[in-house]
Amino acid sequence: MSKSMLKRLRIFMLLVFLAMSVLAARLYWLQVYQYDFYFARAETNRIRELPVTAARGEIFDRNGEILVANRPGFTVSLLDLPKREQPAVIAYLSELLEMAEEQIREAIAKQQFRAFAPIRLKRDVSAEVVAKIGERRMDLPGVIIETEPIRYYAKDNFAAHVLGYTSTIPPELWQQKRAEGQAYRLTDQIGITGIESTYENYLRGNDGKLFVEVNKHGRRIRVLGKEDPVPGHSLHLTIDARLQEIVESSLAEVIQDGIAAGNTQMGRGAVVALDPRNGEILAMASYPDYNPNTLREDILKLQSDPNDPLNHKALRGGYPVGSTFKMAVAVAALEEGLINAGSIITCTGRKQFFPGDVPRACFDNRVHGALNVRDAIARSCNIFFFELGVRLGIDRLTTYAESLGFGKVTGITDLAGERPGVLLRRQPGRRWNPGDVLTASIGQGHMISPLQLANYTAMLANGGIHYRPYLVKEVITQQGETVYRAQPEILNNPGYSDRTWQAVQKGMEATTLPGGTGSSLRHLPVRVAGKTGSAESSPGKMPHSLFVGYAPAEAPEIAIALIVEHGGLGYQAAVPLTNLIFSRYYADR
Amino acid sequence: MFDKKYLRNFDFIMLATVCAIMLISLGIISSATIINITGDPNYFVRRQAVLFIIGFFVMLVVITTDYTQFYRFAPHLYVLNLLLLGAVLVFGRDAGGAQRWISLKVFDLQPSEFAKVIVIISLARHLVSREGNFDSPFSPIPFFLHIAVPMAVIFLQPDLGTSLVFIVIVFGMLFMAGARVRHLLFYAVSGIAVGLPLMWKVLKDYQKMRLLVFLNPEKDPMGFGWQLRQSMIAIGSGGLRGKGLFEGTQSQLEFLPAQHTDFIFSVLAEELGFVGAVVLLLLFLLLIYRIVRTAAVARDTFGSLVCIGVASMLTFQVLVNIGMTVGIMPVTGLPLPFVSYGGNSLWANMIAVGLVLNIGMRRHRLMF
Repeated sequence: MSKSMLKRLRIFMLLVFLAMSVLAARLYWLQVYQYDFYFARAETNRIRELPVTAARGEIFDRNGEILVANRPGFTVSLLDLPKREQPAVIAYLSELLEMAEEQIREAIAKQQFRAFAPIRLKRDVSAEVVAKIGERRMDLPGVIIETEPIRYYAKDNFAAHVLGYTSTIPPELWQQKRAEGQAYRLTDQIGITGIESTYENYLRGNDGKLFVEVNKHGRRIRVLGKEDPVPGHSLHLTIDARLQEIVESSLAEVIQDGIAAGNTQMGRGAVVALDPRNGEILAMASYPDYNPNTLREDILKLQSDPNDPLNHKALRGGYPVGSTFKMAVAVAALEEGLINAGSIITCTGRKQFFPGDVPRACFDNRVHGALNVRDAIARSCNIFFFELGVRLGIDRLTTYAESLGFGKVTGITDLAGERPGVLLRRQPGRRWNPGDVLTASIGQGHMISPLQLANYTAMLANGGIHYRPYLVKEVITQQGETVYRAQPEILNNPGYSDRTWQAVQKGMEATTLPGGTGSSLRHLPVRVAGKTGSAESSPGKMPHSLFVGYAPAEAPEIAIALIVEHGGLGYQAAVPLTNLIFSRYYADR
Repeated sequence: MFDKKYLRNFDFIMLATVCAIMLISLGIISSATIINITGDPNYFVRRQAVLFIIGFFVMLVVITTDYTQFYRFAPHLYVLNLLLLGAVLVFGRDAGGAQRWISLKVFDLQPSEFAKVIVIISLARHLVSREGNFDSPFSPIPFFLHIAVPMAVIFLQPDLGTSLVFIVIVFGMLFMAGARVRHLLFYAVSGIAVGLPLMWKVLKDYQKMRLLVFLNPEKDPMGFGWQLRQSMIAIGSGGLRGKGLFEGTQSQLEFLPAQHTDFIFSVLAEELGFVGAVVLLLLFLLLIYRIVRTAAVARDTFGSLVCIGVASMLTFQVLVNIGMTVGIMPVTGLPLPFVSYGGNSLWANMIAVGLVLNIGMRRHRLMF
């Protein structure tokens, strides 16, 4: 071999060596220098996270009785259904689950490249469906039954409006939560109304994660690990389940009896019971109600019901106050020194107060004769309070009524959607007739919610302290740690004199004595103080039957407001209802 | 007649190197094909082992046949080659948009793989006939024409990668035969200047994409770009020592494209790491060194030229295949010699190495 050829061989070998060196250098760059980067990329390639739904927090009443829990529900899902088997399996599932085949195919199509995640076909199927799928296991490859916590309202209709309900998050809410920085999945359940909604953040819990190894088709190879979900916190309510049940059943009974007796205008009502010593809501009922467990099936019927069962009347209803307003007038007159407990005004049954104004009368043109404030309240004399209204004038009356919560929200934060109501008052730019003060003095023209009425009653019982009404006493973690404990919060205390309160309370106590408008309550095992109301509703319709009261009269622990729409006069529906409630609640006294 | 001298001159190191690469290949093929469409995890590795054993006997035949026979029948081989390549165009089996195979029931023959070896032989004989006659700048032209015909047919299949191998072979062998370097540089530069735009017109869109994607994988995030990125992730994530045989997540979870054929190096680099990859590179370097060494000691120019042709072919294929998997070379679909799964490439390469061993052991003239 010539020398020049040998030289060329060396050059050739050098080029080969250079080529290999370039490859080795590149390998060093990728495998050693950039190892961390590529290793991380490989890990994200192969590992997918699957959410594991956390159980929602449970809800208890004040005595630890369970109100809302979770039960295991069975969900039929598809995981990696072989293509060959698809038509047969889809046809069978379509029949069994009563779903269109198209729907199932769509669900499968959506999960392309996500075969590691089960495709949820139907939530909460019956045990029968589960059994049928189990029997045909061999013919149904890829069909799996998953268990998922399903919200369960232990007492069905019980306090339905207060507790609220959950549903799959609506798209608008999903976006809103996202904007607020809260990540929900589109299939997540969320509280829509009531406590379920206001306490969503406590109840929700933290979803766990399942780490799944997948291949490039997104097919699940194996489960690598698990991060357990943290269940939501438990709520302990101020609601007294026993009282709530009594209130609900009594309300339903009175309304149904009224309808049975021929008053077909009846059909709605609401009751709120507060603890006047702290603002705890002990019972809060609206009639008619619904069963959140079957809400999805019932929704169309409920939405078309003229009595609007979904409406939280106790919180959002607006009712004329009627004669229950008279205590506010009395407080104003007493506090202003226009009368004292002994001052006498004579009721002539009928009187014209202003020239040009229509003559005003007591109910049925009854003549009450000479009355002090106690008897005027007990017997609900209109003339007495017309007289006080005239002496006070509308502006002073407005100030006092506002201080007792009329035309204002109670400030409840445990439920959303409270409305302030209406207080009839002189307004700039609007014509004010001298006679209007008379209307205002006997409670017509104002609108109030049952909760606000109960709050007013509690102020009458406790001497003017406006506590913020609340429903949630305590929030407790799964480990039993208290993360929130409600403290009674005084929002307002006008500081009126004890003599004023005592005079009014004496009148309310006399209501339930012989001669009072609520005298049928005198046989109860507990002394009840109160005031009836018969509020004019729409023309040609029966008045709303109202009662506000507290018990025991000597040391109030319950302040209650009751409204039976179109129930007639106070003593016709609301007083019997009060009687039922207290006789049942205090049965063992 | 078999002489004892042949045995003494036989390059056992070269044979051992090939066997070592083969063993690594079988391990990696086994790992890369545990999950496969046949359902038998050992299907591919068993088949490749059988192909290797058959190839070994073919190589023995090549070794024991005096290479002057190849010199003698070079023109016949060249014609046979063209006939086979033509047959592919006529009877070829379509696969993945390209016609490269002739189906022979149990085996699909890919004549383009053997064409490389045949052209090395015929080109060597052609060059020997013009030995020492390379002063004219036109002197290389006949050799370009020599390869142009088979190359064009293969290009039309289309198989761009394999057709490029011929260019490397002809330049390598011309260089060894004594062609002027400045002439070769001139042809290389003008070839690129003229050939590239011309080629661009003929190429199909997916071929252009494959060629360009390594410059910017983001351009084709779903297709070749994705493949390329998965390959680089596999290799990079292998790190210094690798994830262990059968433990590569990229390969075992099927993130790698063509992982037992074109991208088998990615599996190796992921599972055996930088260390394993460099060992393989060193084995290739050793193999090529032994071939080049054989070229230096060959008894005649024909032998030397065949060796250089084989060395050029192997070097180019290693460079282009591994370069592709690490993202510095276009995606051309050239198999990695002795490592990628498949019989045609394996046998062609074994025949080529057999030729070199043949030349090596017959390096001294025998006395009669």
